[in-house]
Amino acid sequence: MVMSLALERQLVLIAVAMLMIATIVQFAGLVSGRAAYRPTAALYAGVVLLLGAAIAGRWMRENQGPFLTLYDILLSGVFSLTLMYLLISVTLPAVRGGSLVTSPLLLILGVWLTGVSELAVPLPGAFRTPWLWAHVLSGKLFLGFCLAAAATASVMLIRGAALGEWSSRLTPFPEQSEKMIWVLFFAAFICHSVMLVAGAVWAHSAWGHYWSWDPLETWTLVTWLMLGGTLHARATFRNMPQGLGHVLALATFAVAFLTFFGVPFFSIAPHKGLM
Amino acid sequence: MMMLLKKLASLRLTLVGMILLAVLAVVGSRSADIGTDITVVPLGILVANLLAALLTNRSFRTQTGLLVFHVGLLLVFACIGLTVLLRYDGHVEVLQGGAFDAGQVETVEQGWWHDNRLDKIELYQGDVLVNYLPGLNRQDTASTFEYRAASGELRRITVGDTRAASVNGYRLAATFNKGFAVLLQWTGTDGKEMLGALHMPSFPEFDWKQVSTWTTPAGQQVELELVFDQSVSDDRAHWTFGRTDMPYSVNIAIAGEPQRSIRNGDSAELAGGVVRVEGLRVWMAYQIEFLPFLPWMFVAAVLAIIGLALHFATRVLPVSTPAGSSVEEDDYGHVARA
Repeated sequence: MVMSLALERQLVLIAVAMLMIATIVQFAGLVSGRAAYRPTAALYAGVVLLLGAAIAGRWMRENQGPFLTLYDILLSGVFSLTLMYLLISVTLPAVRGGSLVTSPLLLILGVWLTGVSELAVPLPGAFRTPWLWAHVLSGKLFLGFCLAAAATASVMLIRGAALGEWSSRLTPFPEQSEKMIWVLFFAAFICHSVMLVAGAVWAHSAWGHYWSWDPLETWTLVTWLMLGGTLHARATFRNMPQGLGHVLALATFAVAFLTFFGVPFFSIAPHKGLM
Repeated sequence: MMMLLKKLASLRLTLVGMILLAVLAVVGSRSADIGTDITVVPLGILVANLLAALLTNRSFRTQTGLLVFHVGLLLVFACIGLTVLLRYDGHVEVLQGGAFDAGQVETVEQGWWHDNRLDKIELYQGDVLVNYLPGLNRQDTASTFEYRAASGELRRITVGDTRAASVNGYRLAATFNKGFAVLLQWTGTDGKEMLGALHMPSFPEFDWKQVSTWTTPAGQQVELELVFDQSVSDDRAHWTFGRTDMPYSVNIAIAGEPQRSIRNGDSAELAGGVVRVEGLRVWMAYQIEFLPFLPWMFVAAVLAIIGLALHFATRVLPVSTPAGSSVEEDDYGHVARA
């Protein structure tokens, strides 16, 4: 039995509604001072199940993975980011305060997803290689780790701004959160390096160039340099203000986010195959 | 000397090199006038900095993962450098039923140390099949040719989207670029005969403009247009590029003369001779590449990643979870119960 497009749309809409509730829960928790992580995690688990089902149904119907169109990338992106953050936050309690940042961000992506065409475009022959899988999976892992690090860095920045008692409640154990930011950031650096190498191998087999300085590649290199540079800066300047490290982590995620969700749609050739 | 090395190994210089590389990569890739070759400057700084750091920085001696990562990175840089010096990158169109002609290769890039051996390549083009889905969505490409291997035997291979051939050390990869060619027989007024092929523009990219200019052996400029009786490409259905048995005609346009149209097997009289349409073929464009250090670059990159993973497992993770500092989940089960 194949899932209809109408059912897929309904699953996506319910998932986006759940992200909206998660965002409201987070801000309501902030205002009221009540616990917010557990209901948010439950909502995230629901989002993962619904979007997982939507991706599986779409995959079976179209007989291809979500690799090509903006809809595919947003659908798999919201799914993988929600899943990664859920797994990381369940495993590492010190990053849970970041839900305040991840919830609205995932909601924005979800709302964007509901506004783009679901029309599937057949994958070009160049996309039928295991290197694409390695490239995409390592990319999803990278962005998931980077999101968790940046979200935690954001709430640490809010805490650092000393905006009131509520801002301290976001990260009750700041030392542990601080360490986790850099563990996740380092994991993101490893995954990004794997993504770069796998992407170069794939590009070489598909288009004959392992590196061609197109906008996507250039900004991916900039992201890698920002990851490496930030880690280097922390090692070099031991007295670097904590807040500056958080800003650098946030800036790296911002560049990575724009590279993932922005640049591929301004650069026509590299990831779409030529006529 | 040691002082100089230590200054060169500065971590601050690393950061300067990285920032410079990021800025010049963006600027160079956006401006054709500047170009990305300018990234050689920060890359050179980073290589010198890394080399000096490996020689002088003691922390590498105690942190194996970090050492492996940086050695891997240095090897990647070395492979990039050797690749730039030895590389060859070019394009060539080969006619179905025809032979590879080194003289027709258009060189894109050639390293200073590259020993050009393209003239040693012996290759004969066979059939080309490219499947399309509705919406002119290109699917699998299959281009078959025979080539003379180093052992002397003639080998047949089919290359496509994810499979290339290695011929005399050069990598030949089929590109998206392909098209039709009209076989023309020229008979001069002096009785001399010549057979050649006129390549039409890429198909289906320029299916609306299958026109090429030809200068006859007598020196006259003629514009030839390939016109199929029925459309070959189909935007709304599956179709395959590579057939040559469709009915067609060739329009001949000469400045100041009325246009003529001839079909397969027909002749037309031109200044200084007669041209006859002998048939239709396809041509396939290949990318020809020589990057002998590319596999080593991959090995070096994998080594660097292994080093990173090792550093992460032995240095980063243990520091983040010192014994006795674990926090109960309940403590973080909320954001507000402070």
